[in-house]
Amino acid sequence: MKILLIEDEPELRRSIKQYLHGEGYVVESAADFIKGSEKINDYQYDCILVDITLPSGSGLDIIKQLKENNSKAGIIIISAKNSADDKIIGLDLGADDYLAKPFNLAELNSRIKALIRRRSFDGNKSIIVNEIVIIPEERSVKINESTVNLTAKEYDLLLFFITNKNRVISKNTIAEHLWGDDSDQMDSHDFIYVHLRNLRKKLAEKGCKDYVQTIYGIGYNFKVNG
Amino acid sequence: MKLTSKTLIYYLLVSIPLLLLAGLYSYFLIQGELREGIEDTLAKESFNAEQVIVSFKEPKNVYLDYDSLSYIKPTAKHKAGYLFTDTTIYNTYEKEFESYRVLNTYYTAHDQTYFIRISKTTLEEDELMEGLFSSFGLIIGFLIVVFFILNWLLSKTLWKPFYKTLNALNQYDIKQHNHRQFDKTSTTEFNRLNHALNEMTNKIHSDFVRQKEFTENASHEMQTPLAVVKANLSLLIQSPNIKEEEMNRLQAIENTIKKLAALNKALILLAKIENNQFTENTNVNLKEKLETTVSNFNEVILIKNIEVELELNNNLPVIINPALADILITNLLQNAIRHNYKDGLIKISITGNSLIISNTGRPLCIAEDELFTRFKKDDASKDSLGLGLSIVKSITTLYNIKIDYTHLSGMHTFTVNF
Repeated sequence: MKILLIEDEPELRRSIKQYLHGEGYVVESAADFIKGSEKINDYQYDCILVDITLPSGSGLDIIKQLKENNSKAGIIIISAKNSADDKIIGLDLGADDYLAKPFNLAELNSRIKALIRRRSFDGNKSIIVNEIVIIPEERSVKINESTVNLTAKEYDLLLFFITNKNRVISKNTIAEHLWGDDSDQMDSHDFIYVHLRNLRKKLAEKGCKDYVQTIYGIGYNFKVNG
Repeated sequence: MKLTSKTLIYYLLVSIPLLLLAGLYSYFLIQGELREGIEDTLAKESFNAEQVIVSFKEPKNVYLDYDSLSYIKPTAKHKAGYLFTDTTIYNTYEKEFESYRVLNTYYTAHDQTYFIRISKTTLEEDELMEGLFSSFGLIIGFLIVVFFILNWLLSKTLWKPFYKTLNALNQYDIKQHNHRQFDKTSTTEFNRLNHALNEMTNKIHSDFVRQKEFTENASHEMQTPLAVVKANLSLLIQSPNIKEEEMNRLQAIENTIKKLAALNKALILLAKIENNQFTENTNVNLKEKLETTVSNFNEVILIKNIEVELELNNNLPVIINPALADILITNLLQNAIRHNYKDGLIKISITGNSLIISNTGRPLCIAEDELFTRFKKDDASKDSLGLGLSIVKSITTLYNIKIDYTHLSGMHTFTVNF
C-alpha cells in the first residue's frame, strides 16, 4: 500500500509518516503544492492525504488534478480549516474523506483503512483477527462462526481497536472516534468504560480471548500477537 | 433643549433688555422734547399775560382759563425770572389726578407787581408713555413670535442634514457598513462632520473586520501546532517502557491539548457566527431536531439517570441555518445535562413560538446577567469551556431571537422565543 502525504508542517509530516510506517504502509511525502503535483503526475498511490492550505497552491487543486488524471487513489483531506464549505467543496471535487486538524493518528489510520477497504475490489471484505471476523459491510462480528450481537458503539469500539491493534490508544482518542465533536461535552471516559465492559462480556461469552490490555493512566491496547 | 431654541433664547435674552433700554432712552428723549415744547408754550402765554397786564387800567385778578389754574394776581412780592414746577391736580370732571407743568413768574407794570401762574396739562406725556410701552411690547411680542417661527423653520431646513446624520448614526450597524454612510450636504460644517464620521466609521469598520479576521486566523493557525503535539503524543505513548506515573502526566497533557483544541474550535465558531458566515437559511423543523438531539444524548442521560420530559406540541418551523439550529439546541441541552444532578430532571417543551428547556441543578454561582458572557462558568464544571451559552447568545442575536433565563423553585429555565 502506497500513501502520499502532502503537508507543509515538517513535524506533522514526520509523525504521520512514522505512525503509518508502523502500520506497514509505504509513505512518501511532499511539502508543498508543486512537489505534490509532480509526485501525483509521476507515480501511482493507493491513498493521498492532502492539506488544503499549502505553500504555492491549494490542496483542492491537487484533488482536481487527480480527478483529471483519472487517478484511482483514495483522497483524504487533512485541513486546519474545519469549515463546512471547504468540506463540501473537497468532497464534491471527489475527495473521499475530510479530517480536521488537530486529529489523532489512530483516527487517521482508521479512516485510511476504512477508505482502502471500501475501495478494494478483491472481494476479501472481512477483517480477520484470530477468532474474530468482522464484516464491515454488514457491521457484523462473528466469533468462531457465531454472530455476536453488539450495539453500534460496541461495534465501533471493537473495529477501532482492531484497526489500531497493537497500539496504545488513549481514552480521549477513543472518545473522539466514538462521539466526534460531542466527546468533549461529557464524561466520556466513564462511557468508554461501560461500553468496553459490555463488549468484553459479549466477546467472552462466545469464547473470545480478552485481547484488550488496560494501560494504566492513559488507555488501552488491543494486543494481538504476531 | 434644541440648539436652535437655545440660540434664540440667547437672542431674546440680549434683545429684550436692549429694546427696554432703547425704549427708556426714546422715552426720555421725547419727554425732553415735549417738555421743551410745553415750556415754550408756557413762556409764550406768560408773555401774553404780560401784555394783558400792561393793558390794565387798575390792578385786578384775572383768570386765564375756565378752571382757574392759570391766573394773574396783584402781589406785593417780587422775584425775577421764571420758575417751572410740576404739580398734580385732581380733575373733578374726570375724577382722576392729572399732571401739570406750571410756570410761576412776576411782572411789574404801572408800579404794581403781578404774580402770573400759567398751568398746562402734560397729558400728552402720559399718552406718549403709554404709546411707547404698547409699541415696545408689541415689538417684543412680535420678536418672540418671529423667533419661534424662525426656530421651527431653521430646524426644519438648516438643521435637516444634521438630523439626517444623527439618524444615520443611530441606525449605524457595523455589520452592514458601506463606505458612504453619511451624504454630502450644502452646509460646510455638516459636510465636515459627515466627512469626519465617514472616515471614523470606515476606520472602525476596517479595524472590526481585521480583528475578526485575526481571531479566526489565529485560531486556524493554532490547529496545526496542536495537531503536531497530538501526533507526537500518540507516538510517545507507544513506547514500551513508560511507567503509570508518566502515563498519567501524558494523559494530563493530552486532556489539556484536547481542551485547547475544543476552545479553539469554539472561538472559530463564534467568529464565524459573528462574521455572518452562516448564510444559507432553510425551514428547519425544531421538533425533529430536538428529538434527534435528545436521542444523541441518550447515553449521558441514562448514565446520569436524568428523567427527560418532552412536551412538543407543534413542529416549531423556523427559518434558520440548519447547522446553527443544531448547535443552538445541542448547546442548550448540553447545558441542561451538564449542570444537572444525578437522578435530575429535564423538561423540554414547545408551546406556540417558544422553546422552553428547564433543568434541575444547583443555584448559579455567577451573576445572571453574566450567564451568556464568554468564559464565565460555574466552578463546578471544570470540563466546561464557558463558551456554550455565548455561542447560543450569538446565534440568537444573529437571528433576533429572544432568549431569557429564569430560576424558579430549583429549576433553571431557558425560554427561546422564535
